Amino acid sequence: MKRRLKPGLLIVMMLLLQTCKKPTENIKLIVDTDILKYTALIYVTDGTDGGPAPADAEIKITGTAAEDIYELSGKKDINLSAGIVTIGLAPDIVPTEDSPVKANVEISAAGYRKEIREIVFTGVQKQQIIPIPISKNGSTAPPVIAPPPTVYDQIISLNFTGRCPARQDLEIRPSVYLFFREHNIGGSFQYLGYLDKGRISTKYLLAGKTYDFQVVFGGEVYQVSQKIEQLSYDLTMDMPAACNL
Amino acid sequence: MKSQVFIFLLLICVGRQVRSQDMAPLSFVHQKSIQFSFGSQGIGVDFNYGILPRLALSAGVNAVPLKANNIFKISGLNSTSKVSADFYNLHLMGDYTPFERLRWLRIVGGAAYFLKAKGGLDIYPSDRYTYGDLVLNPDQIGYVNLHIDWKGLAPYAGIGLSGLFPSRSFNVNFDLGTYYLSRPEADIKGTGILSGNASQSGQLQYNVKDYRWLPVLQINFNVKL
Repeated sequence: MKRRLKPGLLIVMMLLLQTCKKPTENIKLIVDTDILKYTALIYVTDGTDGGPAPADAEIKITGTAAEDIYELSGKKDINLSAGIVTIGLAPDIVPTEDSPVKANVEISAAGYRKEIREIVFTGVQKQQIIPIPISKNGSTAPPVIAPPPTVYDQIISLNFTGRCPARQDLEIRPSVYLFFREHNIGGSFQYLGYLDKGRISTKYLLAGKTYDFQVVFGGEVYQVSQKIEQLSYDLTMDMPAACNL
Repeated sequence: MKSQVFIFLLLICVGRQVRSQDMAPLSFVHQKSIQFSFGSQGIGVDFNYGILPRLALSAGVNAVPLKANNIFKISGLNSTSKVSADFYNLHLMGDYTPFERLRWLRIVGGAAYFLKAKGGLDIYPSDRYTYGDLVLNPDQIGYVNLHIDWKGLAPYAGIGLSGLFPSRSFNVNFDLGTYYLSRPEADIKGTGILSGNASQSGQLQYNVKDYRWLPVLQINFNVKL
């Protein structure tokens, strides 16, 4: 009797185990990075050729609102990476047209003139782009500004997901400024647009070409490449600096 | 220990029923009792009425209002969780005693309409949370809610141990069985920086699609009317 019952019991148990998955199986915790609601992209270029800022370029935030300004990852430590950094207001600060929040951005690099820009957060727009070309000391030539990207007919949709290498249960929807360049051409990255919770639609990409995409978050540069052969892509890149929850 | 007490009670009840079965021929016709139940589907009350010598009908309600805190954790996220289960049903059961000599054994079948049949899991961030050098409050982070709903009609099949109607004024019996619930509807809601979790509703729906068996194990206290 026992010999007949045991396999039967085993089969029933196996069937029960197979029919019921754990309710949270394959469900990750998805976290958005749009904690800073009012942000400004500081994009520093070398005015000599329009390329990236010198590696030793430094940024300093001054002014009355400087203490309310943070890097996109929430850190007070604000540095340029490839000439790029995103700054923003602390989430409890809400600017308005009548009561804007102002701060100054100072860019300095050895052999270059110091540049100062006033950043004004008015509440009218949540994102703003501040290009800052810097020129060498003594140069009188106007800074070289890279031409805007070519606009194509097709709209390409991209959906970026940030992966946490050390946290398989966590996934990031990055809200960050996105740059791009054609793969293996060696040119400078150009501004593509703002990733809103990981999503962007653009006319700057041409079908058949491969592009490098780049974001800067928490002082780290993250890149991913994709050949454009269809109208939409889900792209994933490791973003460990965004996983420190 | 709990299972030993349950088996002990079961044996006493069945034993009494076995002894009492020689006393009178089996007939439930026009017998009435009120039944109070406690078990896996919460608490309930039923009215039992014998319509044939071996068949009785039971109509009643059951309710499970369950809440528990902090039994679910997400690693690395300082969070508190609230788990809730709300099952309320109206049911009608047929209670058939198939064997004269085994009148302590009943076959039970019927259906219930679940006015509410839902489970929920809310995950909230604990106290103050840091993001870089920023300290965020719970409203700035938001919360995640997992919700599963089985509302609707559900058939039931099971067995009963010990008689439905007391031979004197009071008895205890047991029911073992299961409901087969309607296909669950599941979704995930999120707020704040956790709003993106709503995109995983499809995965949750897939994970729980086979969660349809609601087992019933209950002890009943019957008062003869």
